[in-house]
Amino acid sequence: MLAVEDLTFAYERGGEELFGGLSHEFTPGAVTAVTGPSGRGKSTLLYVLGLMLTPTRGHVLLSGQEVSSAADAVRSRVRAHRVGFVFQDSALDPTRTVLDSVVEPALYAGWRLGRARERGRVLLEQMGVGARADHRPGEVSGGQAQRVAVCRALVTDPVVVLADEPTGNLDRDNAEGVLAALSAAAGGRGAHGEGDGIPRTVVVATHDPFVLEHADEVLEL
Amino acid sequence: MRPSLFLREALATAWASKVPSTLVLLLVATMCAATIATVGRTAAAEAQLLQRLDSAGSRVLVVADARGDDLISPTIVDQVAGLSTSERAVGTLIPVDVVNGVVGQGATRVPAWGVHGDLSAVATLTAGRWPGPGEAVVTEEAMARLGLDDPVGWVAQASTTVLDDWSVVGSFEPREPFGDYGAGVLYVAPEGRALDAVHVVLTEADVAQVAQSQVLRLIDPPAPDSVTVTSPVSLAQLQEQVTGDLASFGRALLLGVLGGGALLVAIVTLADVLVRRADLGRRRALGATRATIVALVVLRTLLPALVGAALGVAVGMAFTGRLGAVPPWDFTTGTAVLALLAAVVAAVLPALYAATRDPVRVLRTP
Repeated sequence: MLAVEDLTFAYERGGEELFGGLSHEFTPGAVTAVTGPSGRGKSTLLYVLGLMLTPTRGHVLLSGQEVSSAADAVRSRVRAHRVGFVFQDSALDPTRTVLDSVVEPALYAGWRLGRARERGRVLLEQMGVGARADHRPGEVSGGQAQRVAVCRALVTDPVVVLADEPTGNLDRDNAEGVLAALSAAAGGRGAHGEGDGIPRTVVVATHDPFVLEHADEVLEL
Repeated sequence: MRPSLFLREALATAWASKVPSTLVLLLVATMCAATIATVGRTAAAEAQLLQRLDSAGSRVLVVADARGDDLISPTIVDQVAGLSTSERAVGTLIPVDVVNGVVGQGATRVPAWGVHGDLSAVATLTAGRWPGPGEAVVTEEAMARLGLDDPVGWVAQASTTVLDDWSVVGSFEPREPFGDYGAGVLYVAPEGRALDAVHVVLTEADVAQVAQSQVLRLIDPPAPDSVTVTSPVSLAQLQEQVTGDLASFGRALLLGVLGGGALLVAIVTLADVLVRRADLGRRRALGATRATIVALVVLRTLLPALVGAALGVAVGMAFTGRLGAVPPWDFTTGTAVLALLAAVVAAVLPALYAATRDPVRVLRTP
């Protein structure tokens, strides 16, 4: 479903090249942890997979189609419809409610607000934060905020979920909760077992031993 | 993104960015109010001045037969009245004094003008009917001086040698610019008699030069001093100069106010974009296209600008209203539209800047 071929990336022309011609096929329905020493490009790989950075060489394939060299507007549409992103610091808009934050990608994907909100509420319930739907991000805990960020990544039913150090700022209990949520998303399940049953490709950039221990696959850079 | 949700999103972000939104609102309000209070007042003053310069009294061309050479025939007057530059035209005779025919010579005298042409060009009938040959109409003032209770009776020329009299068949009020006739009597000039002057009310003051040439060509005076010409040509030139001066002054002022305001709006919008770069980067990462970011930044600038324009127009109108020089509505509407356009144009560059930033760099910068 998601694969890279001969992937190389450099932030500057002639600068240090990352990934060294990486080729890899990510397994749908599994959580793949990307790890490695600092500076090897764990987060950068997620941004390349999320089509926010264009590879210096090689390709990103989504459902067999080369998408990394498409026009910016096309890549934006792919991100809106098929890719979900979980940032390290959850990156929720402090001026809007948790539910409104969750539905944001659906708006860019052209969904109606009612449908997006309905889907958002279902996800928040599945992740165990339904009671916080109308709260502001500042009124929820770090672990809850990260689970909200997972809901936002799933709201458009993407086929790929990318998470950049999602447990980096969390204690063990909250890290377990977020990882469980990502595992459930990979299997197409909610936190309480219900869900759409669609297997997703989940890629997590991490150096957290707990995540590495519980991930289905590990890709070391 | 659906348009209704787009608008909702722009409203939400404008509401969330209270300081920049308030600044944009105040800037646009100031642009509108300042424009209306300065350029608008100038425009209102210009409109008043032009109205005065363009009044019927300032559009009168009079050509008189200076030496009594019978140069102005009724036919020429009719031709002058038919010119495209003529709003209306009549021929007149030198006024004579008349008295109430019943009282006889020695009674109070009032002036009487013989007119050739359409009498409705110089007067409005208030009672009775328009006069025919040998008949006259009088004003209220003349009736009082002649001792007439109603516009009936007859008037006779105040002369022991010339015996001329006219039946009074109605009353009139003079039309602008023939206010002089308010003191007396109008009668129909005798058929075929040459007139002493032709009075032309021009369609516009700036056709004076052309009209003067046309009328003189019709009269064809044998010598330059055969006729005397009272023309609004210099007035038209003054009007043109005043209009030009005021317009260029107004344009410069308008450009200054709008340009300065737009620059400040651009600075505020750019500062807002820089402060909220993480927000914009998140949107890009979540699937917003560059076009969406541009439109969002522009629309969220436009929304407070709309409120500012309404506020500024209201303040400007109130201010100029107190000074008694309210600019025309099309000027105020135009000012609001220009201020909004300036705000939109000012927001485009910061919006493009925001849309072309690397979202990864923005997201990874603390």
